[in-house]
Amino acid sequence: MSTPASQRPSHDGRDGPLEEARAWAVVSYLMAGLLTFGGFGLLLDWWLGTSWLVLVGMLTGAGLAFYLIWFRYGTR
Amino acid sequence: MSAFVLAAEGEGFTPPGKEDFWWPIVGSDTSAWTLTRPAVMILLSVALIAWFLLAATRKRSVIPGKLQFVGEGAYGFVRESIGRDLIGSRDFLRFMPLLFTMFTLILVNNLFGIIPFVQYPTMSRYAFPVALAGLTYITFHAVGFRKKGFVGYFKDLVPPGLPAWIVPVIFLLEFVDKFITRPLTLSLRLFANMFAGHLLLLVFILGAEHLILDGGPGLKVAGVLSAGMAVVMTFFELLVEVLQAYIFTLLTALYIGGALAEEH
Repeated sequence: MSTPASQRPSHDGRDGPLEEARAWAVVSYLMAGLLTFGGFGLLLDWWLGTSWLVLVGMLTGAGLAFYLIWFRYGTR
Repeated sequence: MSAFVLAAEGEGFTPPGKEDFWWPIVGSDTSAWTLTRPAVMILLSVALIAWFLLAATRKRSVIPGKLQFVGEGAYGFVRESIGRDLIGSRDFLRFMPLLFTMFTLILVNNLFGIIPFVQYPTMSRYAFPVALAGLTYITFHAVGFRKKGFVGYFKDLVPPGLPAWIVPVIFLLEFVDKFITRPLTLSLRLFANMFAGHLLLLVFILGAEHLILDGGPGLKVAGVLSAGMAVVMTFFELLVEVLQAYIFTLLTALYIGGALAEEH
């Protein structure tokens, strides 16, 4: 992303402050996924009178968050 | 503290709870103008940091004295391994005042949690982490909007190279992440760590006091063990307090760096 690995003073390339910061930032993405899509599920449940869409929403949200984390931090 | 009185009178043990975090000094109701212990402590921390940094930089020399060595060490650490690494060599200098202030302020206020006679982590009152996270929030969004423009900033939320059909969903996720859950997790992490850590120490220390003063012979032994655990947990708290100050500053720098980075 902003700083290539070669320009950072890290011990083995995968251990610098940038990786550490990203590891902590991941929590925020997971919560965003769970809250947003879990929230959609809850609203749909409330609207349709069902009770399982909140679970589907939360799983979808967590899945999307994992995908985004992998895409952002795992592929480059 | 109610638990102290009850334990001393032998009327049973009142476990510590959230009421142990409410320390009014002037005024006792919950009005906004009540002067509380953490409010005094954060002012004290500002005075301490200012005094330390002035003392550390007054007599600057090529061969640093003790104070200068510690001061320069702390600044060098924040500057090199937080600022430069996460924001990048081009832009990091103008954010150093913010990052270094944040780091020292949180560090000193966290350390208050285990410093004798102070022994209260300021950040265990949620308003303090909220104010700091709010500062981070305003800073990184302002920096992003300024650099990329209003539309450009929103366009840049989504990383390039995603399949087109998934972009709207990811945009939503990124939007919620950057505008809602980032400040939430940032402030909650600091608050919850300090709150839980202080509560844990209270449990072991007040528990030890109660067991030793009011318990039978067997319970007195348990009380001594509890006191031992309080010492162990105090050292553990030291680790948590330094780590949380570091993480808060680290994430602030990461968010600023992310807002400045060109994705396209």
